[in-house]
Amino acid sequence: MKKVLFIDYNRCIGCETCQSICEFIHRDKPFIKIFQTSTGLSIPITCHHCENAPCLNICPTKAIYKDEDDAVIINTEKCIGCYMCLAVCPFGIPSFDIRIGAMNKCDMCADRRKRSLAPACSEMCPCVAIFFGEPQALEQTIKAKIAEELA
Amino acid sequence: MRFAFLCRDKPEPSNRKIAIIGAGPAGLSATGYLVCHGHEVHIFDKLPEPGGLMLFGIPEFRIPISRVREGFAELRDIFGVKFHGRTKIVFGNKPDEGDSFVDEFIEFDKLIKDFDAVLIATGTWKSIMPKIEGGDLKGVLPALSLLFKIKCARLGYISWDNITPLKEKTVVIIGAGHTAVDVAIECMSLGASKIYMCYRRTILEAPAGYHEINFLKNRGVIWYELSMPTRIIGENGNVKAIELQQCKLSKPDKNGRRYPIPIENQFVTIDTNYIIYAIGQKLTPPFQQDIDVKLDDWGRIIVDDLHMTSREGIFAAGDIVIGPSKVGRAIQDGLYAAEGINYWLMGEQS
Ligand SMILES: Cc1cc2nc3c(=O)[nH]c(=O)nc-3n(C[C@H](O)[C@H](O)[C@H](O)COP(=O)(O)OP(=O)(O)OC[C@H]3O[C@@H](n4cnc5c(N)ncnc54)[C@H](O)[C@@H]3O)c2cc1C
Ligand code: SF4
Ligand code: SF4
Repeated sequence: MKKVLFIDYNRCIGCETCQSICEFIHRDKPFIKIFQTSTGLSIPITCHHCENAPCLNICPTKAIYKDEDDAVIINTEKCIGCYMCLAVCPFGIPSFDIRIGAMNKCDMCADRRKRSLAPACSEMCPCVAIFFGEPQALEQTIKAKIAEELA
Repeated sequence: MRFAFLCRDKPEPSNRKIAIIGAGPAGLSATGYLVCHGHEVHIFDKLPEPGGLMLFGIPEFRIPISRVREGFAELRDIFGVKFHGRTKIVFGNKPDEGDSFVDEFIEFDKLIKDFDAVLIATGTWKSIMPKIEGGDLKGVLPALSLLFKIKCARLGYISWDNITPLKEKTVVIIGAGHTAVDVAIECMSLGASKIYMCYRRTILEAPAGYHEINFLKNRGVIWYELSMPTRIIGENGNVKAIELQQCKLSKPDKNGRRYPIPIENQFVTIDTNYIIYAIGQKLTPPFQQDIDVKLDDWGRIIVDDLHMTSREGIFAAGDIVIGPSKVGRAIQDGLYAAEGINYWLMGEQS
């Protein structure tokens, strides 16, 4: 079943919880990162697990695939480190991991999903800025939240 | 927030008991880690509810109260975490003034005897206040004390009558960081008629960023850049006005930083009811006497690789170790400390 990880930039306060948690579980290499813009805004940047993922389409060794939840995953065994995925990613996501000698990125917390846990960043964000779930349910939640706030 | 994000169900008990002093993000994330490793956790906090500054400092429009409450409810209901609220841990010293919510005082030494390990995660709660003529007048407030009271009222612990009345009042906020912005937004929502914000550099250097300051300006906040308070003028013990020295910026130094330089004889005076200082938090170690826990020159608790202090079995995490930071940094520090505690208690078994 397709799952999405959606970040609502309007709710984010730049507290860095998502990045801190991701760094904790991935030992010093967070896949979600907060960037401070020149105007002083904090923007979390992470993989969008695109439906029509340019990285997956361009990869010469077919190292990138979608798992059962439609998360876009890099098979680091097959990756030759050519950087093509980074070149085409609209968010500049894939990152060369010197420890494994391959491109790596957010896998939507694959290990956690196997244990029926949601991605750690979405569970810990204090501001409910990171949504995770099946597209329709998620969109429903967001709309209901907005209705609540308008009332 | 799922503080126990590492697991879903309560694991087999380890038969180890840990006390956490301070239920802010650091204490709560450490708790989450520890319960996922089977430990029994008791949290002590002088406030009536867990959350630390997330609940009692940061405004509701940033962090929803319900999100913090749900997070602790899970720790309590699924993992059996015991919260001892309104309980201040004292370290030999006399109780402070103003611990208005505290019902019970527990000696640190007693706590150590009852638990296998103790984590100090007490944060930094003292605001920096300048030495300035008129600084002791009624109406000069630290930002955190105002935001704290507003949150106490929103959470239902005190009545709105106890909040500094802001309706139709003029407020001067000193500082241009996130806390200054928070104060401005709260003052707006509580009906202040005029809000000034003073900063010694320009909007381009404002720590809250150009975007946030511009947002406030568009909502009617009067932005006074390149100005520094020189004295506060009073009347019958109350604030009446503030005098600001006009400045210009120096040439960038070798780090590219530009400093405000006073322009001779250029002052402005603004009539106001309140002056709110939002220029940062001070480190406040929870103990005044020597309890064998070493501090660095800034007053931060020194910890080793396991996050243990200089005293065996006593750990520390969060802003009391790293200095005033952010929710995320405090959370991560709490997790590393919990990992250290678990390793120290369980060794290779962990
Ligand atoms: C006004 C304000 C606004 C902020 N806004 C943001 C923001 O927008 N985003 C962001 O990321 N960060 C923000 N911060 C910073 C953030 O709140 C802190 O970095 C973070 O809360 C630190 O976590 P902590 O767990 O170390 O301590 P705290 O959150 O301070 O928690 C410490 C707890 O210990 C308790 N305690 C202290 N002494 C004792 C004792 N002797 N006995 C029992 N209990 C005790 C206190 O009651 C408190 O509950 C803000 C800070 C302030 C002051
Ligand atoms: S945890 Fe949430 S609010 Fe904090 S930086 Fe990440 S997305 Fe933004
Ligand atoms: S790496 Fe980039 S292109 Fe590939 S799925 Fe993620 S965001 Fe899309």
